[in-house]
Amino acid sequence: MRTTARAIVPIILVVSISLFVEGHNLPGGGFIGGVLTTTAFAIIYVTFGLDFLERGVFGRDPDAELRPTRERVVDVYRRVFAVGLAIAVTSGLAPLVLGYPFLSQSFVVLEGVPLYDHLEVASALAFDFGVYCVVVGGLLTILSVVGAE
Amino acid sequence: MTEATPAFLETTINAALILVSGLCVLCGYRVIRGPTIPDRVVALDAIATNVVAIATLFALLTGRGLFITVSLVLAIIGFIATVAVAKYIIEGEVIE
Repeated sequence: MRTTARAIVPIILVVSISLFVEGHNLPGGGFIGGVLTTTAFAIIYVTFGLDFLERGVFGRDPDAELRPTRERVVDVYRRVFAVGLAIAVTSGLAPLVLGYPFLSQSFVVLEGVPLYDHLEVASALAFDFGVYCVVVGGLLTILSVVGAE
Repeated sequence: MTEATPAFLETTINAALILVSGLCVLCGYRVIRGPTIPDRVVALDAIATNVVAIATLFALLTGRGLFITVSLVLAIIGFIATVAVAKYIIEGEVIE
């Protein structure tokens, strides 16, 4: 199981990022990318336990703190949730300031970018990133709070 | 598909779709009547795999690449569900 997790977690993360990036002109987007990222974290939780993420990734010792370790990770997830919500709302409200309807979108075509040479940057990406953060933060909060019981 | 699908390929894909759908129904019987919980879990996993097969066959039939993505995501989520239930049955808790 640990060997399988080491193999598939990077693959799932890459798939989720590709779904997230192509979301503005193909099926995909913030929501399904966030769900796939959460499934990658779920595999880590199921395989290595709840403390692994704190000890191995953030480099903290969960037993040295007086507060239970899960609350600190959950705090990080809650912050991701709040930041994502703020980004999504701001990107929705930004066109109002410029005189366009709510949530209206545009895109910029960049030429001469190294490695791609032709890159379209859509403003929907900001909204998608907000949705992505909301989904990842919310689902991981649920997962770690319910999983700790 | 952009080029015309050969007639025999279309017939084969349609037959395979009907076959896999029938398998889904049979697995549904095992989910409902399964005497033990592992029976139901294996049947649900088989249904998930069948849905992946249906999505891939549909992508072949219509030539839409997005159904390949659908089948990929479904396969990942089905795998995680199966692993979680297997760990629950063996160890009694999913996340320790």
